[in-house]
Amino acid sequence: MTLQLGEKHFSSAQPESAVRRIVTFKVGDRTFGIDVGMVREIKGWQATTPLPHAAPHVRGVLNLRGVILAVYDLRTSIGLGLTDATATHVIVVVDIEDKVAGLLVDSVSDIVDVPVSAVRPAPDLERDEHGLIEGLVLLDTDIVALLDLAAVIRDGGVESPARTARPN
Amino acid sequence: MDPLAELKQTFFQECEELLGALELKLQALDEGSTDSEDVNAAFRAIHSIKGGAGAFGCTELVAFAHVFEASLDHLRSGRVAIADAPFSLFLRCSDAVADLVSAARNDEPARPRPDLLEALERVGQADAPKPAIAAPEAVKPAPAKAGAVQPEAAKPAAKKAAPKPAPASADDAPPGLAALGNLLAMVEAKAGGAPVAADDGWDDTPAVSTPPLKPGNDIRLSIRPDSDLFRRVIEPRAVFAILPAEDIVSITCDLSHVPPLETIDVTDCWMRFTVLLRTQMSVEEVYGKFDFTLSSEEFEVELLASAAKDDASTVFEAEPAPSADVSEVSQDVAADLSAILARLGPAPAAAGEPDIAPAAPAAPSPAIARQAPRPPANDAVAARQRQAVSVRVDLERIDKLMNLVGEIVITQSMLVECVRSLPYDIYAKTAEGILTLSRQTRELQDHVMAVRAQPVKAVFQRMPRLVRELAQTLGKEVRLVLEGENTEVDKTIIEELADPLTHMIRNSMDHGLETPEDRLAAGKPPEGVIKLVAEHRAGRIVISVTDDGRGIGREKLLAKAKSRGLVGADEKLAPEEIDQLIFAAGLSTAEVISDVSGRGVGMDVVRRNVESLGGRISVDSEPGRGCKFTLALPLTLAVLEGMVIRCGDDRYVIPIASVIETQHLASTPIEHLTFGQEVLRWRGEVTPLHRLGAVMGSTGTPNENIIIIAETERGDNVGIAVDEIVGQQQVVVKSLEGNYGTVNGASAATILGDGLVALILDVDSMLRLAASSERSPAPVLKMAG
Repeated sequence: MTLQLGEKHFSSAQPESAVRRIVTFKVGDRTFGIDVGMVREIKGWQATTPLPHAAPHVRGVLNLRGVILAVYDLRTSIGLGLTDATATHVIVVVDIEDKVAGLLVDSVSDIVDVPVSAVRPAPDLERDEHGLIEGLVLLDTDIVALLDLAAVIRDGGVESPARTARPN
Repeated sequence: MDPLAELKQTFFQECEELLGALELKLQALDEGSTDSEDVNAAFRAIHSIKGGAGAFGCTELVAFAHVFEASLDHLRSGRVAIADAPFSLFLRCSDAVADLVSAARNDEPARPRPDLLEALERVGQADAPKPAIAAPEAVKPAPAKAGAVQPEAAKPAAKKAAPKPAPASADDAPPGLAALGNLLAMVEAKAGGAPVAADDGWDDTPAVSTPPLKPGNDIRLSIRPDSDLFRRVIEPRAVFAILPAEDIVSITCDLSHVPPLETIDVTDCWMRFTVLLRTQMSVEEVYGKFDFTLSSEEFEVELLASAAKDDASTVFEAEPAPSADVSEVSQDVAADLSAILARLGPAPAAAGEPDIAPAAPAAPSPAIARQAPRPPANDAVAARQRQAVSVRVDLERIDKLMNLVGEIVITQSMLVECVRSLPYDIYAKTAEGILTLSRQTRELQDHVMAVRAQPVKAVFQRMPRLVRELAQTLGKEVRLVLEGENTEVDKTIIEELADPLTHMIRNSMDHGLETPEDRLAAGKPPEGVIKLVAEHRAGRIVISVTDDGRGIGREKLLAKAKSRGLVGADEKLAPEEIDQLIFAAGLSTAEVISDVSGRGVGMDVVRRNVESLGGRISVDSEPGRGCKFTLALPLTLAVLEGMVIRCGDDRYVIPIASVIETQHLASTPIEHLTFGQEVLRWRGEVTPLHRLGAVMGSTGTPNENIIIIAETERGDNVGIAVDEIVGQQQVVVKSLEGNYGTVNGASAATILGDGLVALILDVDSMLRLAASSERSPAPVLKMAG
């Protein structure tokens, strides 16, 4: 009974009772969101160890209580260049595909409940060739872009073929 | 993972252990042991595998295991003498079971082995009379070689025991069994009242008039708990609840030991229980059930002799449970019975389970006594106690523990830094505490490492099978000698050992050992010996594979090396140097590409594998006398002795194992070749030089001062220019693959004292990186760390 209270609340307003609880965060003036279930923890910026010749959006690796994880710069991922990280920047630690990864963002804003029916499919934009955005949610005046985390970290560990090609 | 899958996983893990045990025991028996405990252990192993396989629906496995079990049972029951048993067949069957298990594990279709099944079914068929097959455990004739003399010995005993003429059907049974049948009639008569029904006593089918009790073993369980039973928070009812209710015939409580009310301490337990069971479970299974709650002195499980008969419920009926007198009577009877059985055959009634029925008088079988100086019962008890104190732990949990210890080490080194800034009087005291802490953390780390340590047995156990199979393929006679199987190394190393060992043994079997004819011609015994030895030496594990074969064919090897251009045509090499060529890539001296060699997996691959583990391999050969490969490996992959170096703002760790020496850049002559490639002259050689900061894309401004001369996998040297050597320390190796992926130039990472991550350099991978990045411009985008 008690577990369903939250859903009931929505189900009175919406025929589809399912709700997604989303963590929203900011990069510049843009708002992004991911499901709260994927977030392991949120921690302040910490110096990372760069990896040799990694993709630009891979900031490096970090020690999270004995576990080494890579930190991805979301600003770089969306094409806005490197984040000039300071103590106020935030790393969102997420679980994705059996891996733990860090997402460098400017700040974490909120946790909101969004009815599943309110999630719109991402517009088929040519610029989003990596498919980083899984859906859009209109929240007050903000458009929250729901991130496909797998796409964000995708090109990290794999060496791009351009680098290994040897011009003769 | 869902619970069933998890259970299944556990089952397969257990299977591996059981298969190891099975093989070990069969091997021991094959080599001449006549210890009946070995037979029992082998039987139990296959029985357990069958049981588990049944639970998980592995039908093929169950079917095979069943036949295998049945033929082993012939041995256990003595219908087939140990000396005559086809152990080579059994060993092949054990391999087949291993195949079936791995097929079941990987959900692959199992390969049926009708040939083996047929052979198994033939075991014991020739001389096993039908009634004997139905004979339950309690009346098994003595095992081993004694079996042959038994009928003669048994006959007079039977007459003695049974003055009455034996009933008709008993005549068909072997004489020993006939005697028992009569004996049972006596038991029943003595136990009181029940009609002597010996004429159907040996019938396979239960008599129509059988009372509702289902067939099974009649087991008496005597529980004499220590007086502190209640204080151990054990409730007798809970103890009995372990047993299936339908199996319990009666529970009797003996209160005669309860002291008078005025002196009693109510927290003491003075009750004793006798439970009679009619159950499908074996004595061992019942024993196993109580082994958890009660100590072995507190209870006793006896297979009642009357269980030999299917309709022997008369014993239970005749035994008015609550009466202590009657139980005394039946104990007398049991004693009589055992005494007579002792005369009947050389083994006591319950020879199958000497450890479980300690009450049975020990009349040692001559065969057993010769082989086993210690009483087998004690051995078994000791083994059980050893098992009881070990725990199966998920490696992941230990990894977490390891992580935590690593964290503590880091925190502690952080504390050391903080403390330095304290005023002296406070500092002195704190420093002392931190010193103690660091000693304790080091100890903690050692102990966690010890938890991860495992005997190399896990890998060694796989080798006999390999040798057997190869011997068959190659037509060679080989004896494999294992030594130091209990030498412990970290689990991570154990997993990596299997491949190199397999190749080394393959190599010895194929190239080293000669065929029996050649050996005889060379004045050697036809059977070759391969020795696999493990030992600890100076913080490493040293494993050697020694064969007494023909040794390395130096001329052939050298000729081959010269034809490949690995050695100059006119070059003179010392014999030892020639031997080392065996590790060179692409050199196979096998004339014929066989099943065993010529698959492109040579000793060069072994060397590469070993070196990637931070180990070394060497060879020692004496022509005509044999060859010895020695493998030295670190005890763990979780910790590595490393040199911390700095380039610009970044620090790296280079494994000490790959460092040959260090020197100042300023004092080293450097030559510039084309495209910025630098070389340095070192010990009369020209050695390529790489600037680490540039190769790895370090941040900050590099200011190279030091050259580290490192060794590559191929044995070449390379110079690596770095800014500074920060220090040398043990580092905990952390995987990069787990959460990221492979990183070129680095094999793993570690966490340094300040909590930051440093990459652990992999020299060869770094060189590959250097080769690729020097020819193409490095990415323009640099990270601001």
